[in-house]
Amino acid sequence: MSAPYRRLRVSREGPVGWLAFDRPDAGNALDAVMFDELERAWRELDDDPSVRVIVNTGRGPTFQTGLDLVALRDDPAAFRAHARRTRDAELRFTAWQLGVTTPVVAAVNGVCAGGGLHFVADADVVIAASDATFVDPHVSVGQVVAYEGIALVRKSPMETILRMALVGRYERLPAARAYQLGIISQVVDPPDRLHDEAQTLAETIARNSPAAMAATKRALWGALEAGLTDASRAGALELASLWGHPDQEEGPRAFAEGRDARWEVAAP
Amino acid sequence: MTYEHLRLERHGPVGWLVNNRPEHLNAMNARMRDEFADAWLELDADPAVRVIVHTGEGRAFQTGVDVTEIATDGVGMQRYRDSVERFDLHFTAWHQHVAKPVITAVNGICCGGGFHWIADADVVIAASDAVFFDPHVSIGQVVSLEAIGLLRKMPVEPVMRMALVGRHERMSAARAYELGMISQVVDPPDRLRDEAQALAETIARNSPAAMAATKRALWGALETGLTDACRAGALELASLWGHPDQEEGPRAFAEHREAHWADPAGPGHPADA
Repeated sequence: MSAPYRRLRVSREGPVGWLAFDRPDAGNALDAVMFDELERAWRELDDDPSVRVIVNTGRGPTFQTGLDLVALRDDPAAFRAHARRTRDAELRFTAWQLGVTTPVVAAVNGVCAGGGLHFVADADVVIAASDATFVDPHVSVGQVVAYEGIALVRKSPMETILRMALVGRYERLPAARAYQLGIISQVVDPPDRLHDEAQTLAETIARNSPAAMAATKRALWGALEAGLTDASRAGALELASLWGHPDQEEGPRAFAEGRDARWEVAAP
Repeated sequence: MTYEHLRLERHGPVGWLVNNRPEHLNAMNARMRDEFADAWLELDADPAVRVIVHTGEGRAFQTGVDVTEIATDGVGMQRYRDSVERFDLHFTAWHQHVAKPVITAVNGICCGGGFHWIADADVVIAASDAVFFDPHVSIGQVVSLEAIGLLRKMPVEPVMRMALVGRHERMSAARAYELGMISQVVDPPDRLRDEAQALAETIARNSPAAMAATKRALWGALETGLTDACRAGALELASLWGHPDQEEGPRAFAEHREAHWADPAGPGHPADA
């Protein structure tokens, strides 16, 4: 086991790896330590063959409130490093940025503000507690919205994202509206059932072929990179990449025999 | 310039652009098309205007190109055809590279080419009795540019259905809200302008420089793949580093006061003429 985490809680429950922001006294905001630990934790969970699905959530009343500017300014070296990575598009703190192949479920447990939207934009599946809210205060404090808004624009009705970006801190999107719009797929009520529901959903996803899900993720996220015809060409290669893989034989056989499939577990 | 088919108004920090040809359901004739080009640039260049609201006079918001007029005035049709074939259009905020936030407030019927101003706005709200439909194919015309924009911004199926069912079905404001085509339904309908003004004043409290860069980053997301769009967006992010708003914003927040943003008429990205 690697060094302990100071800003995250990383744990396993059955086939599910949990990555929880654990800085509740600061709204789980991102400081230099959390940036480093996020890169390490995503890689650790993605490389662990016993982890089939990753759930990302926050401890305490907030999910994630983005960059902790105050803390980062006390650490000029870390601030410069983060600024350079931001400018050069070399960020390494979300699953998408790190190329995580394991399915990722974001379980939004409360306020998700500003840079917290990175973790909604870059997750495969997003669910939220019924009292969760989404708000993007960047322009209200003189900051630009880019990465998280760009990805959300590709994944959600754009008008909603532009309104959130331009109204800033003066309006919040409630979980129920986020569900209507397809930004999230499940609202958990009462909110304190979020952990259990996320675990159940993750265990359900974990019943599927890891190899097929990894190729599926590459094909579908790839659809956001290119035009439809080009994305379909690249997707065809992902499809064919699994032909001859044991899971492709085992899946139909297990289904015919009325049993759970035994998937091949890829070595890290 | 003087406007015949549009009306420009200023209310506080909000510039209003009102379609004002109600006896023709605000259909866009050649003159109105030229007026749009000027009106967007005039409001975008006016330092007193922080946010622009676009709405219509009468029972329609916009009903698209006035084909009758354009086809019968001798030169209009050829001129229109040339501009379309070259995709050299200047009648929406997006065409004119407007840097300020644009709210479309749909006051009634929005059909056909009227969708240009839905597709090309940043934020869209509507009166509860507004209706949306696209009659192009019912009168032998092609649906193209406005729907292409909408397809990138919302679920595809409703846009295809509207394009193919044509004039035989109408979408309600309530359904447009469900789908995220609009973000607010105003009821009763006669409160639309007040609500639009209130929303615009709220948006006007944010940093003009940050909003302009945010618009470039997010609209840019429709131009390229996700990774390339993030690279371009990163440069928009960095473009504000060192700008006074970036210091003033957090300071004002910490001091519990309204921020004093830098004069947006300063160095920026002027819209091209």
